[in-house]
Amino acid sequence: MQNCRVFSTVLAATLATPLVTSADETCQSPYMPKITGQEEYVYVLTLGIEGVGDGSDKLVTVDVRPGSATYGQVIDVDSVGGRNELHHGGLTDDRRQLWMAGLDTSRIFIFDVASDPANPKPVKVIGDFVAKTGGVVGPHTIYALPGRMLLSGLSNAEDRGGRTALVEYSNAGDYIATHWMPTQETAGGLPGAEFADGYGYDARVLPRKNVMLTSSFTGWSNYMRDIGELMKDQEAMKHFGQTMVLWDFHARTPKKIFHVPGVPLEIRWTWGEEAGHAFTSTALTAKIWLVRQDGTGEWQAKEVATIGDPAETPLPVDISLSSDDKTLFVDSFMDGMVRVFDVSEPEAPKQIYEKQIGKQVNMVSQSWDGKRVYFTSSLLANWDKKGADDEQFLKAYDWTGKELVERFAIDFKAAGLGRPHLMRFGAKSLYGG
Amino acid sequence: MIGPLMLLLAMLGAGAAAGHEGSHGRPELALGRSAQFDFDPPAVASYRLPAIMEAADGAVLDHLGHAHRLKSLLDGRISIVIFTYTRCTDVCPRAMGLLHALHDVTAEDPELRAAMQLVTISFDPDNDTPAVMARQAAAHARAGAAPWHFLTTTGAAALQPLLDAYGQPVAGYGGEFAHPLRAFLVDRRRRIRNIYGMDFLDPRLLATDIRTLLAAERRR
Repeated sequence: MQNCRVFSTVLAATLATPLVTSADETCQSPYMPKITGQEEYVYVLTLGIEGVGDGSDKLVTVDVRPGSATYGQVIDVDSVGGRNELHHGGLTDDRRQLWMAGLDTSRIFIFDVASDPANPKPVKVIGDFVAKTGGVVGPHTIYALPGRMLLSGLSNAEDRGGRTALVEYSNAGDYIATHWMPTQETAGGLPGAEFADGYGYDARVLPRKNVMLTSSFTGWSNYMRDIGELMKDQEAMKHFGQTMVLWDFHARTPKKIFHVPGVPLEIRWTWGEEAGHAFTSTALTAKIWLVRQDGTGEWQAKEVATIGDPAETPLPVDISLSSDDKTLFVDSFMDGMVRVFDVSEPEAPKQIYEKQIGKQVNMVSQSWDGKRVYFTSSLLANWDKKGADDEQFLKAYDWTGKELVERFAIDFKAAGLGRPHLMRFGAKSLYGG
Repeated sequence: MIGPLMLLLAMLGAGAAAGHEGSHGRPELALGRSAQFDFDPPAVASYRLPAIMEAADGAVLDHLGHAHRLKSLLDGRISIVIFTYTRCTDVCPRAMGLLHALHDVTAEDPELRAAMQLVTISFDPDNDTPAVMARQAAAHARAGAAPWHFLTTTGAAALQPLLDAYGQPVAGYGGEFAHPLRAFLVDRRRRIRNIYGMDFLDPRLLATDIRTLLAAERRR
């Protein structure tokens, strides 16, 4: 909560002088309080697997309280019913609710995580997202705004391709508005209009500059397809995002389109009081890109580093920026690696560490103090590796500043849970507990 | 009016530059950019402000102790509604300073002055009695500017439904409160058209939003 007093474990998010703006605890919306001390619970959005447990998508709560008798164990499981390709989600600005979205069914599952952070309770399901939004499919990023949620789509109901939109809902779960991504038809006159593809993926705001950045992936017809078949379909492989869009956030209008080839995915703005730049990674070309203003104040995007050997297609999928803006963790799915970059010189990131987390790895989330880092394994149900390479885990590490030291691991298949993807943190201290 | 505006500029560490449209007809643009709000506001009516939800009614007391329905105070004017408490030493006074700047702008702009009002509601009725709110009114509300209501409630029974309806979390800690700062733009028909945190409680943006609602009214 925003404070009129100081709490030992919670940092106000939106003070008049912004201490922070937008990695996991450090990848939260700037509009919400942060757990700056020890997180107590990790909420893991988990895809169901036929024949594993009940086969349903679920919210899995893991106890990460040091000294707890159940430390490193699953303490609560809430199935949502069926498989929806549960993928990303987000907390409301007051951190009382966790919204989780299915990329396949476009259903949104809302849980109360405030009444008992150790035992989330379902409160609402939004089942008419596609109809309400005018045909947006595949809600992905769910990002807290004051009293509202901003959702980025991946697809549309008309052709199931990559043209999509941003959508707003009230915290009560009521639809407010749809903002379609700029296309060749609608972007006329905008700088970079010739690159406009209408695609979407992530959305992140830098309030101090009143700008929002969005990135671009692919549509339902690709992300729900078997990866082996997809890779052989040259026509389908043309339909991946190549853009980032800079928006006037307050007006929700696009200002400039950047050509960022190779599927730019997660976006992270820096947090400092002079915050003014963002990083993203491109999945197919394995690059780190920087977005910032140049000496004239004009926003520019440029490639600043390479992730592994792009010829080997490591497929970077998630990034996590430390709260001091100096360290960037980059997960790449195909080689199961995390690479850590020193980004204190944003124009010249330097890799300082690497480690193989598993045969595949996807999401990375770090604590606000940067001392603890969590990894999960699943990318998409039809894109995860097959056979023995299809490891499904949550792994927790301590980051010493020089290396990762494993604390615990949970085998999500052996536990009958499924494919773990997005993580969010919880703590009773957020609610005065 | 330049005095208070310049005072706020200094408070915000603002530069001298006005907005990109110039300040003609929009005195709020004289506030210019600041470290906190390092951007130019969008053009009036260049965007939509869809209704988010109905602004709830409730029983309130004004600074003279008179009982009102909040609905009756909101009807007919565009309102900026904010929940605060007077003992707050951090976020609330900073928010009030920003609203004070908007209040000063309305003194220079007859259209805004006639169309809008500010509404401050305390979530600390035990301490923020009508007498305390009267002192707040004396400190902030000035003649010749848009109305500024300083409201409280008779106690928790009247307050909590309001907080719940507006989605304003407040947690008490030993006499103090933790709360996300929220302000609400409410149109003349009591529909919430925007919700601001501290990050966007920029008097220039508030005025631009109000002008955008007025422009939409004219188009109807």
